[in-house]
Amino acid sequence: MVRRISKYKKFVMGNPVIQFFKFLWLSLKILIIVAGGHGGTRKVS
Amino acid sequence: MAKVVILGAGISGHVAASHLRRKLGKEHKVVVVSPNGNYQWVPSNIWVGIGRMKPKDLLFPLAPLYKKKGIGFIRGKAVTFHPEGDTENSSPYVNIEYVLGEDKGKREKVTYDYLINATGPRLAFNLTEGLLPATNKAYSVCTYDHAEHAWKGLQELIVSMKKGQKVKILIGTGHAKATCQGAAFEYILNVEQELRRHKVRDMAEITWIANEHKLGDFGMDGMLLTYGSNIMKSNEMVEMIFEDRGIKWILGAGVHKIEDGVAHYENLEGEYKSEDYDFAMLIPAFTGHGFKAYNKDNDDITEKLFKGFMIVDADYTAKPYEQWSVQDWPETYQNPSYANIFAPGIAFAPPHAISKPRVSKNGTAISPSPPRTGMPSGITAKLVADNIIDLIQGKSKELHHKGSMGNMGAACIASAGYGMTSGSGVSITTYPIVPDFKKYPDTHGRKLGKTFGEIGLAGHWLKLALHYAFLYKAKMKPFWWLIPE
Repeated sequence: MVRRISKYKKFVMGNPVIQFFKFLWLSLKILIIVAGGHGGTRKVS
Repeated sequence: MAKVVILGAGISGHVAASHLRRKLGKEHKVVVVSPNGNYQWVPSNIWVGIGRMKPKDLLFPLAPLYKKKGIGFIRGKAVTFHPEGDTENSSPYVNIEYVLGEDKGKREKVTYDYLINATGPRLAFNLTEGLLPATNKAYSVCTYDHAEHAWKGLQELIVSMKKGQKVKILIGTGHAKATCQGAAFEYILNVEQELRRHKVRDMAEITWIANEHKLGDFGMDGMLLTYGSNIMKSNEMVEMIFEDRGIKWILGAGVHKIEDGVAHYENLEGEYKSEDYDFAMLIPAFTGHGFKAYNKDNDDITEKLFKGFMIVDADYTAKPYEQWSVQDWPETYQNPSYANIFAPGIAFAPPHAISKPRVSKNGTAISPSPPRTGMPSGITAKLVADNIIDLIQGKSKELHHKGSMGNMGAACIASAGYGMTSGSGVSITTYPIVPDFKKYPDTHGRKLGKTFGEIGLAGHWLKLALHYAFLYKAKMKPFWWLIPE
């Protein structure tokens, strides 16, 4: 069964105040994941 | 003195050129060869395709920047590769053809000590009969001028909808082996929102058509991700979004022919079907450029350099899906036959797909090719530049900078609608890009937490912030190098 987006979720998704904090959190989280480093896969330490 | 030649000035080529120039002394030459005179921030083409940005907002001319920074620039395209030189000269070179000015059509040998092939993909519209941008009511958003055409077509459609005409819109992939589903996903959500903004949403039936087996595959075999406090599959997340927006979907579809307002496709059941439309945006297949390579005796050695795209340090042994491993994926993007040639970004030949290959009952392969988006393109270009710098400076003969897509995270900030207060974005990160089923056996090869999804206005702001940040970085403004790839 397909999940639905509730009215409350939609409110959260579009509320600029909540989303401002989400923006800060998202920016930080993505920066950590993306800039958190990369490397090879063939030599296992 | 060393000379580094970079073919291509897209995300990958430009990142490599800018890092090489910053870190190498002026005694070393950095030369970019590209048929395009502009740098374009491709991820924002989506917004040109809905008329919310102009091409000038996402591009700038490269020649003045390169002149200022001391980077050589040739407006030409590579034609043939000669990694051993020829009988007259033993220096390796690339035969290039000028595309502009008095020298247009003239060929020249551009010698190099190190070569970075960052030529990206060829947009192979010819592999789908009748698929050409702005022809047969079908459009593309792969380049800014394609996107501009798409906006013109969409604008005309909106006018006719306002007059009371009901229309059908078809967006997705235009070939059985196409990739870049993410761009089509962004476009369909943006178009849907624009129709609501123009108060004509109820006049349109919007359909997603793709070669994916399930929604949310994105050429990455789908993903298991965290969404708030839930754990869900990417197909469930995309189904939820499409359901909310009233978008229908057709999956496992290999589009093979386009006629005026009709897309013909074969599905995984082996059925031949067609879908009518009044406006379509279909991503074409991506292929290599069909370059040829020759040794010093002028013998054809294309198979040493190319396998469609360029051969690098990947394991190209053919094996079934069950035996695929992250170790198959390249780490340094160095050609195994010629150690001074590298191919980061989209220019390297992937060892295999990421999504499980699927074949229709008629034997037609219908499944996505592996995507390589802007972020891994930038990361791989930077590590190639860093390795070349180490080699030139004699720091090491080994390549220490490595970055396999099996040990690299990626963020896909998909726009889902434009607007400072009414916009939306679907932010998805995956770690790693290529699933590592040995390391993460219970979570479909990826690390939960680092693989997550988020929907909302913040995603739109983030995509907009990235637009400005990456253009700032590309223009090499003060401290540009502090912004990560």
